[in-house]
Amino acid sequence: MRELLKHPFWQAVIIVVGSFVLFEFGVAYLPPLLGMKSAPVPNSVLLQYMLTVLVGLLVYVSDNEQRWRRFKEPLHAVLVDPGKRALRMVLLVAVPLLVGFVTYDQLRPSVEAPLGLRSIHPAPPGQITFRGKTIVLARLENPLRADGSIAEDYQVGKRVYYQNCLPCHGDPLNGRGHYAHGFNPAPLDFTDNGTIPQLTESFVFWRVAKGGPGLPKEGTPWNSAMPAWEEFLTEEEIWSVIIFLYEQTGWTPRTWEEAAEGAEE
Amino acid sequence: MRVVKRRDAALSLLALTLTVAPALYGQQAAPGKAVYDKWCAGCHGVDGKGDGPAAGYMLPRPRDFTQGIYQIRVTPSGALPRDEDLLRVIDEGMPGTAMPGWRTVLSKSDRQALVDYLKGFSHFFAQGPAPDAIRIGKAPGLSEEGLAEGKEFYDKIECWKCHGRAGRGDGPSAPTQDDELGFPIRPADLSENWTFNGGGTVEDVYRRLRTGMDGTPMPSFSDLVEAGFLTDEQLWRVAQYAHSLSPEKPPRVREVIRASRIEGELPSSPDDSAWAAAERFYVPLVGQVVVKPRWFAPTVDGVWVEALHNERDLALRLVWHDPSQSPDSAWLEWQARVLATVEPREGAPAEARLLPDVFAVQFPRRIPSGMERPYFLMGNAREPVHVWRWQSQPAAAVEATARGLNRIEPEAGRQALAGQAVFDQGEWRLVLRRPLATADPTDQLQFATGVAIPIAFFAWDGSNAEEGTRGAISTWYFLYLERETPARVYTAPVATMLLTAGLGLLVVVRAQRRQQHEAAA
Repeated sequence: MRELLKHPFWQAVIIVVGSFVLFEFGVAYLPPLLGMKSAPVPNSVLLQYMLTVLVGLLVYVSDNEQRWRRFKEPLHAVLVDPGKRALRMVLLVAVPLLVGFVTYDQLRPSVEAPLGLRSIHPAPPGQITFRGKTIVLARLENPLRADGSIAEDYQVGKRVYYQNCLPCHGDPLNGRGHYAHGFNPAPLDFTDNGTIPQLTESFVFWRVAKGGPGLPKEGTPWNSAMPAWEEFLTEEEIWSVIIFLYEQTGWTPRTWEEAAEGAEE
Repeated sequence: MRVVKRRDAALSLLALTLTVAPALYGQQAAPGKAVYDKWCAGCHGVDGKGDGPAAGYMLPRPRDFTQGIYQIRVTPSGALPRDEDLLRVIDEGMPGTAMPGWRTVLSKSDRQALVDYLKGFSHFFAQGPAPDAIRIGKAPGLSEEGLAEGKEFYDKIECWKCHGRAGRGDGPSAPTQDDELGFPIRPADLSENWTFNGGGTVEDVYRRLRTGMDGTPMPSFSDLVEAGFLTDEQLWRVAQYAHSLSPEKPPRVREVIRASRIEGELPSSPDDSAWAAAERFYVPLVGQVVVKPRWFAPTVDGVWVEALHNERDLALRLVWHDPSQSPDSAWLEWQARVLATVEPREGAPAEARLLPDVFAVQFPRRIPSGMERPYFLMGNAREPVHVWRWQSQPAAAVEATARGLNRIEPEAGRQALAGQAVFDQGEWRLVLRRPLATADPTDQLQFATGVAIPIAFFAWDGSNAEEGTRGAISTWYFLYLERETPARVYTAPVATMLLTAGLGLLVVVRAQRRQQHEAAA
């Protein structure tokens, strides 16, 4: 066994198999064991990683004349050794079969949905018309934060949320209300840190007021079941429900200073 | 500045919640209160009366905790629930209703605190502990005879009166049921066990049979077992039979509906055996809550879709559950009750009247080349959609152009759509068939094979006051008409295999020759 580990050919095999297992499964499943979020590596990226590993290995084994010769030994043996005749035959059948299968898999007609490229937070317009009134979005703050009681606004927002937003966005605000399974794209999960904490309140106001039909093309307005809430709610009700979203989830809205810094980066 | 205001907000919120504290039996400032007020009061109300701001926007309504009446228990009928009963519903939620599970949202101690807090809403819990769980044995082994016996007792103990002969929630008593607060309530559709309020396993069903579902018309059958009308094993058989009406697994939703290609004539009847060749796809439908007037109490919760095509035609078989064959005057009172119960009442007031059942399949007018499509909700004035609209009475299937839910107009040109429907014990089975190509390529979609064609589904139950914007909807899915597999799909792999094998042989032979040369030298 120890001999095997010292042999450059078997070292290479172990590294190739080990890296594959690490990229294919390790990246997806190890971080969650430590409580971190992770996702599987896409196949195209996996291919790139594996090519990098292979190139590195080839450089290593061919770097030194003697190592190169030892590396080639087992390969050569498979080709000519009378004792390896059986293995030779198996490889001569198995490799072409594998190539044939991969070719078939690539060519057979697939019935996947066309790729939907959708911008989840598209760029907002500079201003919108809300029930005939022009509202400039740039540098716009939630007017309710300037006067009076957030607790009262929260209660108004709560009523608005429960009577309108609940079926899709759900009581826990996780985008999994009792109607959510009926819609594609899925309703936004406000507990996700990629959603409202990344947005200014004026952006959220625009999205609530204009809904799916008010999205620009990159937001695929034809798919979204988000209503244009200006048809249902007053300006104040929308600002209240925005207060509710942030209070209930514990997120803070992005400020215009942060937004400006983000734009400079 | 913002930090200061935030603390103000927190303080005033605290003050508010303290001042409106409900009259609790026992626990005044219970630890569950903050959690309850934040997460539960929106539906169940600050005072636990089941009258939160969302209460009118859902059917069934949220539970009224002041009555101490709970559906899902392990205790006998009429008894209080045990703590684990309350915790289970908090953890798992109630499938088929708006109640979500909170296991992954709230901490264990918060959920435990909620159990105590909920009990504080009703004085019954102060009068002594809940009884022990009803002891249940093990289910007998499954067998054909067992299921037949289950069916026999399903009929004998009159499950069918509400749940229907085939279990689809369409029994003769279905339109007249109400819950303990007088709100209309539907018998469960036993063929959809993923929507059972207390869970869909055989054991869950058996427990509901033994304990009843207090607060609903579902009684306990324990007394019949005690009176010797049927044995405990026979009641298990009823549970097994009810469970057997559902598919083994809840349907998986797939984005692409595949239409298989067949040789010869397409079936025009929904019960034609040729449909066995088609794959079944499930599309969930939900209430139309996007445009006014919205609808929060739809009847139809999903449709099974099968599709077949040949070189000339496309046929869709659509199967959905609806307890009423509308129009049906037996459901007029139900309609009035639902209209009186469900918020919001937007637009012109709706009155109970005889309406047909309607189903619509929506397509774009042309197969889109990019990703752009018409608006999913029956298009709009700028970008209309092509619709196949069927109605139960007067029976008709027409091709229409829609510019919104209230503007679905039959096309003036030649109609090529054929429809045939069967209503069978709470289930509509409909076949819609049309040539792939028609004489009107402007309004009517011309189908092509091998491409993803956007498709969406809509259902209206006339007996549930559904028409226009009040109905059940889906967003866009795709229909894919299988094309004949090109020959190269099979020839190319053979060619690459031969090539690889040849190369391999060449390498081996050359290496061996060289080896022999070296040995000879």
